[in-house]
Amino acid sequence: MSEVPHIVVLLSAGRHPVSGRHCPVPVELQAIGLGHMLCGTGAADAITGLHAGPGTPALADALGHGLARLVHLETGGEDDPLPSLIAALREEAPALILAGRAGQGGEDTGTLPYALARALSLPIVADAVALKSGPLPGTLQVEQALPRGARRRLVVRLPAVITVHPAAPAPRPFAFAARTRGEVEQRPGVPSPRNAPAQAIEERPYRPRPRLIAKSAAGASAAERLKAATEAASGGGRLLVDPAPEEAAREILAHLRGLGVLRR
Amino acid sequence: MSAPGLGLPLLVLALTVLAGVMVSRRIALWRVGRPARVDWTRGLLALPKRYLVDVHHVVGRDPYAARMHALAAGGLLAGSGLALLALVPVLGASRLFWLLIALAFGMALAGGFMVGRRRLPVRPARLSGGRFQRLPFLLAAYAAGALLVALDAALGGHLTALSWPGLVLAAAGGLGLVLQLDTGPMRHAFAGALHLVAHPRPARFEGVRETALAPLDLDAARLPGVRLPGVRLPGVRLGIAEPADFAWNRLVGFDACIQCGRCEVACPAFAAGQPLNPKRLIQDLASALQPGATNATYAGSPYPHAREVAGIGGPDLPLVGTGAMIHPDTLWSCTTCRACVEECPMMIEHVDAIVGMRRFQTLELGAVPEKAAAPLSELRYADEPQGRALSARTDFAAGLELPRIGPRGAEILLWLGEGAYDLRHGRTLRALVALLHRAGVDFAVLGDEERDCGDLARRLGDEATFQRLARANISTLARHSFRRILTADPHALHVLRNEYRAFGGVFEVIHHTALLDELVAAGRLPLAPLARAVTYHDPCYLGRYNGEIDAPRRLIDRLGLARVEMERAGRRSMCCGGGGGAPLSDIEGERRIPDIRMAQAAATGAGTLAVACPQCTAMLEGVTGARPEVRDIAELVLEAVEAAPSARHAELAS
Repeated sequence: MSEVPHIVVLLSAGRHPVSGRHCPVPVELQAIGLGHMLCGTGAADAITGLHAGPGTPALADALGHGLARLVHLETGGEDDPLPSLIAALREEAPALILAGRAGQGGEDTGTLPYALARALSLPIVADAVALKSGPLPGTLQVEQALPRGARRRLVVRLPAVITVHPAAPAPRPFAFAARTRGEVEQRPGVPSPRNAPAQAIEERPYRPRPRLIAKSAAGASAAERLKAATEAASGGGRLLVDPAPEEAAREILAHLRGLGVLRR
Repeated sequence: MSAPGLGLPLLVLALTVLAGVMVSRRIALWRVGRPARVDWTRGLLALPKRYLVDVHHVVGRDPYAARMHALAAGGLLAGSGLALLALVPVLGASRLFWLLIALAFGMALAGGFMVGRRRLPVRPARLSGGRFQRLPFLLAAYAAGALLVALDAALGGHLTALSWPGLVLAAAGGLGLVLQLDTGPMRHAFAGALHLVAHPRPARFEGVRETALAPLDLDAARLPGVRLPGVRLPGVRLGIAEPADFAWNRLVGFDACIQCGRCEVACPAFAAGQPLNPKRLIQDLASALQPGATNATYAGSPYPHAREVAGIGGPDLPLVGTGAMIHPDTLWSCTTCRACVEECPMMIEHVDAIVGMRRFQTLELGAVPEKAAAPLSELRYADEPQGRALSARTDFAAGLELPRIGPRGAEILLWLGEGAYDLRHGRTLRALVALLHRAGVDFAVLGDEERDCGDLARRLGDEATFQRLARANISTLARHSFRRILTADPHALHVLRNEYRAFGGVFEVIHHTALLDELVAAGRLPLAPLARAVTYHDPCYLGRYNGEIDAPRRLIDRLGLARVEMERAGRRSMCCGGGGGAPLSDIEGERRIPDIRMAQAAATGAGTLAVACPQCTAMLEGVTGARPEVRDIAELVLEAVEAAPSARHAELAS
């Protein structure tokens, strides 16, 4: 793929996990960074940010992280953003839609990219950490993050929806002047009221919970608690002392299959 | 008057005209700079005092250099000026007048000899070579030649055989000197005088410690009307990218540099082998002003472990970058300790220039050091560089009574600062709180209303975040009633006391060492003397930035401690390496600044190093190996208070 693809990065209204204030979602800023990696420098105009919702003051901060343009589809606070996004993306028809694997601080279930891909009949690849032009025109090579640090490379035909994993490279640092000069294009979104939730949802800033020490905590001795804590931390598996090479190889293969790194 | 006797005044006249041409070429270059408001009348009237008193105080720290300069510059100017006056027939005919001229040039010759002796045969490392090595010969030639002519005229033509060669010698030397006015060492003479007149921080000469950074107009980044891609409108760039972005009087300041290298000797980053040499930096800035500039003529110490740069520039070309004059690592090596500014006899403002260039890197390019991006982001969204809860700032005081400010207000507002989250500095603050309770001080803290003061953001060039935090903190402080702000953090002290002023926050801020000194002097904290040797490390932001070097020392003396001064102390103290965001920039060098500073402390033989700043505590306590114990002055005071008999009685009684 020689020419620069038109990329849309989906942005959500994040909240800071400690202060609870509006802020951009780090993984979405990383998505912008991956977009830049793909188009190279100088083609930043090819990347557009897209947000549907009532809008927050921190939304435009994404401009400071390397977005030249941001489209804000204004809807009411109770509206479902999905129809607005679908309508806008049908019209814009980008080659690549990037999204974070989950937002931060709202009702972010991480399902929106999937719903969007289904509605637009696009393939979706989850948890990208690197993007590169594919071997054939109109394809994209995606490096995908698997659990426990494993990586998988696959090629997808564009257009496609790709979600970005937090293990992707760090976003570009914030540049105040770019944020000030960047454009925010306000457009009305598609009103689509959602059914009110059965129960009122209480929102509050995230606070890390204290770690529970294993079962033996209550009433056990310090040594037992230590043992329980360290056992919980160890990775499991079997300890083989001085095994035959064939046996060791079999064990390693079985372990890798168990992890899902090897398929057969 | 003999023919050579007439020749000398004419030669001086010709040289003066030539000098005018050379100077006007440089003045034309300065005009690319941004406009600056200068009080000319005041500056011109103050010039003699600024030159003879303020500059002399700094130069006089090296008495040899002061005497050398007085003789060379004084003799040269007096001799040349008087020689010009010899064109007046009455004076030209007076043999006594010519004797006076001879005397002045005799002085200049002695000065030229001293210049030579300082540089030859072995040039000290801090001085520059190149054209500077030729300077003593030119000085001596001009002075000696003119001396011969003047002597001949004074003796009534008895030395005519020497007088003609004398005139030729003076012409050669004088021409050499004048030709150096544009790009050579002599440039500092007129640029320096103009710099003293139009200095960007004139209050420095009036006994004010003018150290606050000037606010940046952030709205300048907002383009009026239509946004035109690819078009650069004038005046909209934030920070300094090119020489033309400096105010013209800052450009004059760079040209005032005489490359004496005193900044180089004082710079902690240079000592640590990081790629910063303030002298070289100022030379790079000065040479970048020339169209088609290169850094090739520089002949002093390089940046230690210099990173590769193209070394080219011009008035409208970028200053920072691998394709320009200055590598970004050079900018980020600075700890903003102002040691170079303190040492500079030409009153150059190195730190202002560095922060100006950092502002462009951060605000326009987003090119902050790798590890600084996250803290700046947390400051934007959580008002705290590590993203910790503001309410957790008071956790250090668990088990202590820490009153929160209420509608009633308090006598003293205790500003806890960033250090409160740090376990080590938490110990200092616990000692301080305990002392305040014992002395019966009416104090309170802001609790979760206290945001970061913004010092880190500002030094890293993130002026936008600093201004937001400053405005938010000022409006918080305005809601509460208190008389003074107390803090144990000199960085917060400097920002609250000096830098919030520009945003309408005028507060009386006091450092904990000064308050404890007051309390001890008033007898509110009875002490038992602690008998041991201690050395005190002045925090840059307290000593150099705010001139507070006496109160901590007085307090240490009151504690009965034997105070031993380090090699560098007071206003000339050395940085711990913790300021200016340097720990976040983390530019690689040969050694660490705190290790160097701790070695200086250990050299005093004192068992205890007294500190008064959370950054210094963290940096110096991080030094490994055998070293003096690091104690904050508040901890030492608490130790003395707890050892006092009255305190013991009170405890027994309760």
